[in-house]
Amino acid sequence: MPKHYRPPGKKKEGNAARYVTRSQATKMLQVNLPTFRRLCILKGVFPREPKKKVKGNHHTYYHLKDISFLHHEPILEKFREIRGYEKKIKKAEAKKNKDLANRLLSRKPGYTLDRLIRERYPMFVDALRDLDDCLTLVHLFAVLPASDRENIEVKRVHNCRRLSQEWQAYISRTHKLRKVFVSVKGIYYQAEVDGQKITWLTPHALQQVLPDDIDFSVMLTFLEFYETLLSFVNFRLYRSINVKYPPILDPRLEALAADLYALSRYLNRNSSAPMVESDDVGSSGSVQPEVKQNGQESEESELRLAQLQHQLPYNEPGALMHLVEEAANADEEDEDAKECKNLFADMKFFLSREVPRESLLFIIPAFGGIVSWEGDGAPFNESDQSITHQIVDRPKQDHIFLSREYLQPQWIFDCVNARLILPTEGYLVGRVPPPHLCPFVDDEAEGYVPEYADTIKRLQAAARNELLPMPGVGKEDLEDPQRLVVEGIIGRTEANEAAQKKQKLMALEKQYHDELKMELEGRVTNQGNETIAKDDEVRDGLNDPYLKQVLDDADSISKVVMSRKKRGLYEAMKKGKERKKASVNLLKERKRKLEAAGKSGKQRSCS
Amino acid sequence: MGAVAKNKNENNRENDSDRRRVIGKDNVAEAQSDEEVYPSGVTSHACSDSESDSDYLDSSEDGEFEGNQSPVDSGAEDSDSFDDEDDDKTGNDSGLSGDEQGNSDENKSSEQPQGGEESDSSEDEVAPRNTIGNVPLEWYKDEELIGYDITGKKLKKKERQDKLDAFLASADDSKNWRKIYDEYNDEEVELTKHEARLLKRLLKGKAPHVDFDPYAPYVDWFKWDDAIHPLSNAPEPKRRFTPSKWEAKKVAKLVRAIREGRIKFDKPKEESQVYDLWAGESSSPTKKSGHLAYIPAPKPKLPGLEESYNPPPEYIPTQEEINSYQLMNEEDCPKFIPRRYTSMRNIPAYDNAVKDTFERCLDLYLCPRVRKKRLNIDPESLKPKLPSRRDLKPYPITCYLEYKGHKGAVTSISTDTSGQWIASGSSDGTVRVWEVATCRCLRIWEIGEVVKHVAWNPLPELPILAIVVGADVLVLNTGLGSEEDQKQVEELLQVGAATSLDDKTLSVSWIQDDRYRYGAIKLQHFKTVSSVEWHRKGDYLSTVMPAGESKAIMIHQLSKRLTQRVPFKLHGLPVTSVFHPTRSIFFIATKKNVRVYDLLKQKLVKKLETGLREVSSIAIHPAGDNVIVGSKEGKLSWFDMDLSSQPFRTLTCHPKDITNVAFHRSYPLFASCSDDCTAYVFHGMVYSDLNQNPLIVPLEILRGHSSSNGRGILDCKFHPRQPWLFTAGADSLIKLYCH
Repeated sequence: MPKHYRPPGKKKEGNAARYVTRSQATKMLQVNLPTFRRLCILKGVFPREPKKKVKGNHHTYYHLKDISFLHHEPILEKFREIRGYEKKIKKAEAKKNKDLANRLLSRKPGYTLDRLIRERYPMFVDALRDLDDCLTLVHLFAVLPASDRENIEVKRVHNCRRLSQEWQAYISRTHKLRKVFVSVKGIYYQAEVDGQKITWLTPHALQQVLPDDIDFSVMLTFLEFYETLLSFVNFRLYRSINVKYPPILDPRLEALAADLYALSRYLNRNSSAPMVESDDVGSSGSVQPEVKQNGQESEESELRLAQLQHQLPYNEPGALMHLVEEAANADEEDEDAKECKNLFADMKFFLSREVPRESLLFIIPAFGGIVSWEGDGAPFNESDQSITHQIVDRPKQDHIFLSREYLQPQWIFDCVNARLILPTEGYLVGRVPPPHLCPFVDDEAEGYVPEYADTIKRLQAAARNELLPMPGVGKEDLEDPQRLVVEGIIGRTEANEAAQKKQKLMALEKQYHDELKMELEGRVTNQGNETIAKDDEVRDGLNDPYLKQVLDDADSISKVVMSRKKRGLYEAMKKGKERKKASVNLLKERKRKLEAAGKSGKQRSCS
Repeated sequence: MGAVAKNKNENNRENDSDRRRVIGKDNVAEAQSDEEVYPSGVTSHACSDSESDSDYLDSSEDGEFEGNQSPVDSGAEDSDSFDDEDDDKTGNDSGLSGDEQGNSDENKSSEQPQGGEESDSSEDEVAPRNTIGNVPLEWYKDEELIGYDITGKKLKKKERQDKLDAFLASADDSKNWRKIYDEYNDEEVELTKHEARLLKRLLKGKAPHVDFDPYAPYVDWFKWDDAIHPLSNAPEPKRRFTPSKWEAKKVAKLVRAIREGRIKFDKPKEESQVYDLWAGESSSPTKKSGHLAYIPAPKPKLPGLEESYNPPPEYIPTQEEINSYQLMNEEDCPKFIPRRYTSMRNIPAYDNAVKDTFERCLDLYLCPRVRKKRLNIDPESLKPKLPSRRDLKPYPITCYLEYKGHKGAVTSISTDTSGQWIASGSSDGTVRVWEVATCRCLRIWEIGEVVKHVAWNPLPELPILAIVVGADVLVLNTGLGSEEDQKQVEELLQVGAATSLDDKTLSVSWIQDDRYRYGAIKLQHFKTVSSVEWHRKGDYLSTVMPAGESKAIMIHQLSKRLTQRVPFKLHGLPVTSVFHPTRSIFFIATKKNVRVYDLLKQKLVKKLETGLREVSSIAIHPAGDNVIVGSKEGKLSWFDMDLSSQPFRTLTCHPKDITNVAFHRSYPLFASCSDDCTAYVFHGMVYSDLNQNPLIVPLEILRGHSSSNGRGILDCKFHPRQPWLFTAGADSLIKLYCH
């Protein structure tokens, strides 16, 4: 009897019983494939990977529970109803019964997705966690041209635009934007809402082309869900800052396509209504609710602390300490927000015609700046004397106000990412700006730190020292306050760093030599030491062939007894590390070459 | 008249109308009365009339074609009627009258329709000259004829005019634009001015005839006004003046629907349905949905520095690198090539913006999601914890002595039981015996041929060497040991003449060989011998001839000078054979498997399945229950024979062939040597407790030999008492590794 034989009365078991292929699933649900796809997208049902693929490798498998979950979905019935209704319309049209067809068309049954959203995201935080794709898609559709062929309606594009701007207005208003990155693909933004890092991509404000080889129906189904989701999220967020949703905008500004500004005006007016109207632009009006929030949060944390204190046994000070630390962390985050809010605190920006206005109108207020632009409906115009910075993106600026600086837009992005007002020399009009660095990359983990990142880090360190002197360095600073010049600090920190590095290196070297000695004498090494020794050797480039041989031998000897699986894993890991190192080396090599080329070019020009 | 119609080629075939047919018949009658040549032509024409054309076109064409007929036919048939050509020409063909050559019959027939009916013509009825019918003309392309005429005569093709001449002629001829080549009848036709005019009108989409008015007022034949009686005398039906019942029903239905609210006239309002969806969310997390665990989709990958619009210059690949990407595999090729724009206004639109998002959407709903644990560990932690090597001492570590003297690769070495001497055989054709402690070469035998294998007799009182040289095995007295021993050995190595004869059946002959010092016996085999192995008692020795088929493995008894083949069937080519160190058990290693035979019971005890590609060497643990097998793919298999016939542990250590493996006689050590010039020393502890698995720890990699001719270390042997290892290299050195 074959192993897989199942007696007639017996039920199916295992993967065969638990997983069904897609075609089986559609048959089970009695829907066609497009409806099934829609259903999956709306319900968030995805295929799964069974351990044993009963039907073969080329099938998509769904879990039976997922399918029965879809089977009980009321929206499925709704889809059927709509399909029947469409048949009615078709019939009426076929019979040339125009009246009936029109009447039926005007009364199509619809469906709502709010219940699905609640089901998929039982908590608001869950919704925020999944908001990345939502925002990216909505922002993309906000700039797509409406197209009859692809079924992209004007109404939906407008809705997307409205939703995305509402979202941006909220982020900007509450100063929740953290990082911005201008890439070739578009502009990436990262905001932190309720402790969730939300990253989204907005395309560059240029005409988008609709490619032919794309099934827009899939995207539109996603968009349908995401639009609803984002409107609910926006509602809740607006509500959290006491603003009515949907916002009612100034029609004049809306007509001038300054929606974002109109929205932010609306937000400011509404949220600061209970407070004193303090100034004309209203950016400082945001301070108070922020403080209020902070107060609330700290109160909450204290309360929680008190509650937990009761539950904890008394002899566990460690746990309590932990809690306190957490609270401190929360405070730190608040500090982060404060830092963001005050980055451009007393600066006034003016945007020239050619800079990406939408993006900058979003970013500058998010970091506490005041901004205006060239065009109708702007809060102040170019001749305003109080403007401190003018953002210009043209090869040459003709008319220059001496009271302000003319900068390229990249300066804003770099300042935001560095959380620091960077020196403006590199960004002046007509110059090639310094490289735009990615704020999402951890340089240490990557293993390669670009030169400009280093400069920024040093500037940051300098700025920090200025604000609150570090304990180690502070003493010296106090001794001779004259040297509190920025450059001096930079130099010192540099020296410190170098010294530390040197010490570390020396220690490592010493350790390494000890290790080697030990190895030669006793030939005893434990695994850990060996690895350190090896790493060191690699780092120092010490080329004693015999020692190298010894280390290699130790390595290959321990590989001999590894099981095949582990050996494979080990080798794969090694390979991965090597590849990473190779890419870093490639970068270093290129840099070296570039520098050499630059030097020789300079010499040539000198001679 | 038939000739005229012939000119009309395709146009003719399109004509059809009853009227014309009638007229055609008239003409037939006429023609019959005139000449006998035409009637069949007329009928054929009637058949060819398949589609209707406008009468006007026909008539006008007729008018002109009659003048336009070719001189060939008219000349042939009616050359006598040149004089009366012009009398009856109507006004419409006046332009062409100069070259008219119609005969009188034609003129008459053409006159008749023009006079009577104004629009029809007689040429329709004239049969086309060619009678092949409506067949593709390319059937006649290669023929000399273009078809057959009505009487079945062949119609020859005209002489092809020279193209150049034709062109020149046409260039000269001002009427050239009016000439059309009739392929069907193989002749050139010239359109009249009138015809050209008609065609022009047709091309414009107008009626061809100028006089024709397509919008002539309709004249009703029926008089409506002054009739006294109605057309029908039926009374007015009732349905004309009673309200419809069905209509009433329909209306009632609608009314009912409106009253019940099924039909609404006001459009449904669209109100936004946004509200605080997560209003009472604090309670919800406690409620567990009975569904499967939701696996959130992984977040989209964050961009790296290379995606910046203005990355640092070192991130931009050089042109050579970009070119090299094209040579790469598609998988290795980087997906994104960084570019640098000097200012933000230069950034172009990203082409794949929609596509990328679409692909993300596809991933979201089409990709199976699995929670995968990403190992984020130090790779070093994967290495197994081995007992400290210090605890496993002593074992050979460094090269202590080198035995120099051989001039070729040392193929084999063997240690004396006492541990005082080692013997080595080399490819330079010498066998040497060395003193271990001093590196002194004690004895040299010039064999003259490549020595493949040497083996000391395991008995200490018999200092005998077995040497494999080509197809011979030499049992050599070394002349070492005490005098008593020497006597015994010399006795043993005396071969009588009688003994050498009866072994012919086995084709091994024992021959006394006195060429060598101290005496020797030569065992002549019929095939080349690859290895020789002594039994532990020193009386038997086994030889392996890989090409010997059923007699591949022989066992020789030294004391009786007997030779016998092993009584077992051999499966595959034997590689080596070994005696069990304590019991009368015999191991035969073939390329894939190792078979274990009991020599007393003469039967198979066990078959060890190595799973290796090609076994090269085998060694038995001194306790006899564990076997190591080295293979040519560099793998070493340890078998625990009590456990199973599968390897207990397979160690992949050498990148090249393992040439030999060896166990130490007393220490828990074993070693393997390979062509990659290394020898591995392992700790291999076998416990007497059967439940405990043997402990295998790699201890040391011994290097020092250099490769020659692609070969490295050819043999390794442990010292019988000390934890020392001898290795024989292809670089003609023997090395001793000490602890």
